[in-house]
Amino acid sequence: MRSMILIVGFFWGGLFTITPAIADTAEQRGLFVFQHVCSACHGMEQAHYGDMAALTSSLPALQEWSKQHQANLESPIASPYPSIAVGKAANGGDFPPDLSHIARTIRGGTPYIEAILQDYHAPPPGMTLAAHAYYNPTALTHHHRFRMPPPLHDNMLIYPDGTKATVPQMAHDVTAFLQWSNDSHRKTRSIIGSCVLLYLVIMGGLLLALKKTTWSH
Amino acid sequence: MTPPPSPFSHWLNKRLPFLRPLHQHFSRFPMPPVNGWWTLGACLIAIVLLMGASGLFLALNYTPDIQQAFSSIETIERRVPSGWLIRSLHMGGATVFFAALYLHIGRGLWYGSYKAPRELVWLSGLLLMVLFMTTAFAGYVLPWGQMSYWGATVITHAIEAIPALGKPLVTFLLGGNDLGTVALHRLFVLHFTLGFIVLAIIGLHVLCLHGVGSSNPTADSPTPITTTRPFHSDYSIKDGLAVCGVLIIYAILIFFLPDWLEKTSNLIPADPLKTPSDITPEWYLAPFYAMLRAVPSRLGGLIIAATSIIILFALPWLDQSPRHNATYRPTIRVGMTLAFMAFLTLGIAGLHTPSTIWLWLSRLSLIVWFSVFLLILPLTARHERLSPKGDHS
Repeated sequence: MRSMILIVGFFWGGLFTITPAIADTAEQRGLFVFQHVCSACHGMEQAHYGDMAALTSSLPALQEWSKQHQANLESPIASPYPSIAVGKAANGGDFPPDLSHIARTIRGGTPYIEAILQDYHAPPPGMTLAAHAYYNPTALTHHHRFRMPPPLHDNMLIYPDGTKATVPQMAHDVTAFLQWSNDSHRKTRSIIGSCVLLYLVIMGGLLLALKKTTWSH
Repeated sequence: MTPPPSPFSHWLNKRLPFLRPLHQHFSRFPMPPVNGWWTLGACLIAIVLLMGASGLFLALNYTPDIQQAFSSIETIERRVPSGWLIRSLHMGGATVFFAALYLHIGRGLWYGSYKAPRELVWLSGLLLMVLFMTTAFAGYVLPWGQMSYWGATVITHAIEAIPALGKPLVTFLLGGNDLGTVALHRLFVLHFTLGFIVLAIIGLHVLCLHGVGSSNPTADSPTPITTTRPFHSDYSIKDGLAVCGVLIIYAILIFFLPDWLEKTSNLIPADPLKTPSDITPEWYLAPFYAMLRAVPSRLGGLIIAATSIIILFALPWLDQSPRHNATYRPTIRVGMTLAFMAFLTLGIAGLHTPSTIWLWLSRLSLIVWFSVFLLILPLTARHERLSPKGDHS
């Protein structure tokens, strides 16, 4: 029943939510990375499991994913930690931030996210790292002693579309997904916006012509 | 010239006999040769109607509760069909509206539209401006993001500065000691209700104008044009063209520059324990925020900001010169330009962190603002009243 409502809703809203459901885009692969990697520690509270229907053609798979988190399609993608304190304790004192708008709210924006995911190194000689700290020269927090363990490793996933899951590829895809989560109507907005502008420019031209004829006598 | 009335309009006119004179008044309303700046009123009405319509649909999906407000906005953005479009119309509308409003008021100042017999037009317009600022402030709190919360905190702190009355007044208005669900619910009702109140006062504003007609910008020129044109269809088409132009700017903003309209920190839910590194108001309230900060005392800042608007209400009596148009009043031309620049500087200062340079620029701008309206304008007016028309020295 719920999926019926969602499907009907999807087609009802279809006019205003033109989404490429067939093409395997970076956003879609990014969702795959999020499902299998990021969501182990991060929530995306403002989005619901069902919202991801815009990026995937398989509703049963989404439903399955939500069930794994004791949720359903209408539930927010909550943090896996029961409380802030537990999340902090598990991550060296830093709570894994909510990812709903991280692409916009993090200092440095999407280029920072994409870079930080790929920039884990062994610490330079002389630098000691506490437990739960990882050397990442891109990271702006804790003087490059980043508290997020390296999340991506080559070939840790097998993309359904056959793309090779290298670290740069996954970093790029998940960043595109986070950008989508921050602003999920970007594509629709530019399409509608272009139509609205075209309409207004034509109407403006007609009004200008009308004004000229009216004012000429 | 006019076509014979249709049976329906005949039927309607029998039952509502004032409709025909009203229609004739509006269509034949004689317009002096006003320039493009006079189209802003029509643009403002168009935007206010769009804001009202989009606001109704937002209100249907918004929850005024501090636990749910932020996520109800996210639901509108993510899940309500076309919700993102309706919300961006409403948010972008505020920016376009205030831009047009300040230009509209600036036009009134430059061309002396506040003078007799148009005092009531000016006063109702200023009342509208104050109501719009209140509405915008209340509306900005509703999404309950970081900037919503901390912006509201700045304002409540400013009101608290009123001696003796301040604190009890804030507690009374907020329904508690701090900004909570009661306060948020009240701000929502205030925002919603003011939307309809301003519509009524816009009606009053237009009514006041239609009694006396628009002012003539050429009246003070060496070659005044006294012929008039009918409002419809000469000026109604011109207004339509301007509305179309404003809608194009509006569309570019909401469809292609949406990040300009929403502050990043307002995408983070309100957190009373975490002050954002820089609290900046929306640009249209920035000049008044700069005034609050320019004075070292909280109460002083409040008084200065309030007075800066109150003196505008007194303008019809401060400037009783027979001349209207600043273009033909050399001193006023300089004075008004300075006042506009001061307002602009205050606006920019309000958006910057209050470093020494911005504080002093704000103070300088305040001195300019007050001296233009309290000294230059009355003195020049007195001089102009005494000297015959055409003698500009």
